[in-house]
Amino acid sequence: METRLLILNPDPVFEDRTLAILESAGGFDVQIVRTLSEAVSVLLGENFDGFAIEGDPAVAVEQATNARQHFPSLKIVCLLASRAEAQTVAAAKQQNIELIAQNQTGFRSALERSLRSFDRSGQAAAEGIDPCHSLIGNLNQFSAAEILQMSCLSQRSGRFTFKSRRGTSEIYLQHGSVRHAQFGSLEGEAAVAEIFRWRQGRFFFEEGIISQVQTVNRPWAHLLIDNLQKLDETLELASV
Amino acid sequence: MRDKELERKLRLLNIQLDNWKKLHDLIAYGLDKAKPIISSEQERQFTDLRANLVQETEHILGELKILAELSGKTMNVLQRAVSLRAVRELPHDEVRRLETEWNQVFTKLGIVQGQLKAARKKLAGQTAVAYYLSRLFRRPAAAH
Repeated sequence: METRLLILNPDPVFEDRTLAILESAGGFDVQIVRTLSEAVSVLLGENFDGFAIEGDPAVAVEQATNARQHFPSLKIVCLLASRAEAQTVAAAKQQNIELIAQNQTGFRSALERSLRSFDRSGQAAAEGIDPCHSLIGNLNQFSAAEILQMSCLSQRSGRFTFKSRRGTSEIYLQHGSVRHAQFGSLEGEAAVAEIFRWRQGRFFFEEGIISQVQTVNRPWAHLLIDNLQKLDETLELASV
Repeated sequence: MRDKELERKLRLLNIQLDNWKKLHDLIAYGLDKAKPIISSEQERQFTDLRANLVQETEHILGELKILAELSGKTMNVLQRAVSLRAVRELPHDEVRRLETEWNQVFTKLGIVQGQLKAARKKLAGQTAVAYYLSRLFRRPAAAH
């Protein structure tokens, strides 16, 4: 199984050091884009194991920070043309963005190690959908926002499980409010925001399963409005 | 076995083909009289695309050893299609010429892509030793 990577490189013909390394290493399925809006558009439609941004430190980290706002669980690495300033490093760390300088010794091994760690094929979501679940569907037909809205309006309590190539996530409802959400290491509102962007995958609802943990404290209507607004901003960025 | 040079050529060709197809999409939009509005954003995309193609075409075609065959046709297309508005205002015979030359370049690039992919597939089934042995025995005899 190849690691699927999206690479943002404004000049892939003449600045191709990283691409050459990935080609000779093998095992990577690489798609190249030249602009952030192109990247966002591709990321909305397809699943990638990771996103690598090449360029000058300040620009690359700014683009990565922007991408992070729209794709909270995406693994992002910046491949920097020169050493980054302390302020840039701090900004990247805060956003959980990895930095690798292209002029550092051992760049090749650092790059391969980092990108191989993106591979999520071992964590692929199992199907495991039981026909006795009270609601089963496909995210191609109903978005997460639509089905959550419907369930919250009808004051449901239970667990929604969403399965896609990105992994498995869960949202727990209690009396029509979101009580807890989890996707990988993300919890709470960040996990809800992630699920809102999924366009592919399946979901099912199990009535009566309540979470002991509470990570979401805001009413559903607020979550819905905020996340739809964020989604609009993402779509706007993709269309720039 | 993987051949670095072959992989590099395929990457360059994919980039060129991708840009060439995007150019076609925008030209087709410009020529579509049913779509009256050409936005400044579309014009900007078109200019960026042309800038990339102008900058990269000679290098890529040179690497693929098809520069002599395609350089003239590629430049003709890029010079005729100055902007989306200019494309819309081209006379009918100029449009035909533009489309014919675009297609000739596209077809040749597609053929070369197929050849490179076939070479990659053949290589994938070989070990490094078998590859170099076959090259050794394929070498023509020196002229006396």
